[in-house]
Formats: sequence, C-alpha cells, structure tokens
Amino acid sequence: MANIDKLVTRLALEATPVKPAPHPYMLSLKWIAAAVLYLSVSLILGGLRPDLAVKFLNPWFATEITLLSGIFIATTLSAALLAFPDLHQKRRLALAPVWLFGLFVFILFFAWLADTPPAPLPVHSMECTMSITFMAILPAFWTLYSLRHYASTHARLTGSVALLSAFSVGAIWLRLHENTDSIIHVIEWHYLPMLVIVVLGMWLGERVMKW
Amino acid sequence: MTDPSNNLEALMKQSLNGDQQAYTTLLQETARLLRPYLSRKLSFANEVDDLTQEILISIHKARHTYDGNRPYKPWAYAIARFRLQDFLRAHYSDHLRHALDFDEMEENFQENVTESVMSYESISKEVEKLPEKQAAILQLMHQDGYTAKEVAEKLGMNESAVKVAAHRAYKVLRNKLDK
Repeated sequence: MANIDKLVTRLALEATPVKPAPHPYMLSLKWIAAAVLYLSVSLILGGLRPDLAVKFLNPWFATEITLLSGIFIATTLSAALLAFPDLHQKRRLALAPVWLFGLFVFILFFAWLADTPPAPLPVHSMECTMSITFMAILPAFWTLYSLRHYASTHARLTGSVALLSAFSVGAIWLRLHENTDSIIHVIEWHYLPMLVIVVLGMWLGERVMKW
Repeated sequence: MTDPSNNLEALMKQSLNGDQQAYTTLLQETARLLRPYLSRKLSFANEVDDLTQEILISIHKARHTYDGNRPYKPWAYAIARFRLQDFLRAHYSDHLRHALDFDEMEENFQENVTESVMSYESISKEVEKLPEKQAAILQLMHQDGYTAKEVAEKLGMNESAVKVAAHRAYKVLRNKLDK
C-alpha cells in the first residue's frame, strides 16, 4: 500500500490541466469529412464511370452503394468509439458494422441472383483489389495514427475496424470509377478481400494500439 | 461528510482541470475500488499491488479519454480489465518460461539453493544490483536465514517461484563473479 500511496502522490504532482478528447461522434465526423474530401478529389481526378447515372437506376447497385457507404460510416464511428477504453459506453453502436455487413452480404446475394444473364467478367482481376488497397493506404494511415492518441482496450478489433473503414473508402471509389457490371467479379475482387483486411487489421492493431 | 466514491465523476472533472487534491482522492478511491476486484482474480497480495499500480498509471495516461459526462466506474474498470488481461497473459507466458527453467534446474538439483560457500556479506554489493525481487529473496534467504518456503510466504509467492528466482540470481552472480 505504501508503494501505491507514493505512486498516487507522484501522479497527482503530474496532474496538469488536460483537454478531454473530442466526443467520438465529432471524431468520426472529422474522419468522415476527410474521407469524403479524399474520395471527391480522387473521383474528380480519376473520373466517374460513364454510366453512373443509369447504374443508380438499378436498385441493386443503388442499395449496394448505399450499404457500402453505411459500412464506411459505421466502421468509422465504431473505430472512434473503440478509441475509448469503455467504448464511450456505447457498446451496441460500436458493434453496428456487424449488422451492416450481414445486410450487405444478404444484398450481394440477391444482386447475384438478379444478375441474369450474368454480366461478362472483365479481363482484369487482382488489379481491383490492388487499386482499392492503394486508395485505402492514406485513410488507413490517418485513422490508425489518430487512434494512437487515444486509449483503446480492444487493440485487435480497433485495427480491423479502422482498416475496414479505410478499405470501404477504396471500395466506394472503385465502384463509382470502374465500369464493371459483373457482380461475381465485384464480390470476388472488391469485397472478399475485406476478410483479409480484417485479419491484417487484427495483426496491425495489436502492434499499433499499444499504450 | 459525503463519501468520495459517490462522486468520482466530479473528482475526475476537477482533476482534468488540474486540481491535484481531487486527483489524489480520485486515485486513492480508485485503488480502493479495484483492490477487491483484483484480489478475486489474483492469488497473491504483491500481484494485486503491482497490478493496481499499473492500472493507476494507465488511468493517468488515458485520463484525456474521460470527459466527466459519463459514469466513471465503467471507464476505470474497462482499463482495469484490459491491464488484468495483459498481466495474466504475461503471467502465463512467464509460467511457460519457468517450466523450461525447471528442466534446466534438474541438472542442478544437487546444489542446495539455501546454502552458499560464499558469505552473503562478501557479495552484498552485487546482490543490490540485481532486480528488486531477486535481491529481496537472496537477502531473506542468506542474510536473514529464512528458508525458501518462508520467503515464499513472506513475499506472497509460491516456493517454486522463489527457488527459480534464487536460481536465476545465482546464475547472474556467478557470471559476474567469474568475470
């Protein structure tokens, strides 16, 4: 107990005024705004797919993009909540991406059923995953860098969610940029790599989130 | 007088504004709250003390993630659970390492770890340079004459852990003295 008393005295001497961290809603809003800006600039520079207006008339495409945007917002908010030791006491909200992913898989399944006759597969494959990953590097870096300033007690989950948020920025960009209609190709090379991202995020989170 | 544990949120708010007195009370109250929780999870009093200190340091480091507008206890317990998991992970991996050391010790079973041909006084300066726990064990065994079992009881460790620590200390001392 004497050691604890000594420690308490020492810590109290270091108790200078501290500015509390921003609310996770504000934090996620900042990240979302930065990502939207990044996405807009990338789309202006890279260009939108020529048939985008027509594609949005297809309910499956519109739902897919809406849900993908929902996943991006939910993962960003979840990462912001996970930055706090107690998840800002909003545990259910922090787990919201799980439900959205479930819904996303469901919608992709129906989009695949509706793809008759199947749209022709594009000649490329892996390039899409590479492009999404490349686009996601910057958002992943700034999210992980920001998260390091907080105190996550769920390092692996935080890493995964942060990388998924960044990867979904890349995925939205490619869906709005690339002229591909094959849902099989999109599932295989745009969305399935998210599973690898989850594992990579766990690995990275354990190393980056130490405090 | 009101019980400070009822108003931890207010104490933390004051602490965030740099009130050292409030912060001292808050940390003392937190330590008092954590003690029964950690005692249920850990076997030895010294482990509870060590971990309580680690948790208090973590609370200090993470205090900017608390804004005073939500209950304090869930926030503090989240940090405590996190550090407890870390501690247990390290503890069990250390146990695995100890298991390897026991193999190594079997070669030296003929050595009596409670007796030494050299007097404690002649090597006391080297002993002081050892890690705190190892130095304390050697001092209790060789200067004060306690057995490994008695040292274990005194330090809240198990007997094997005391022997392993003593064995490691002998190794370090032997290497130093050989030089």
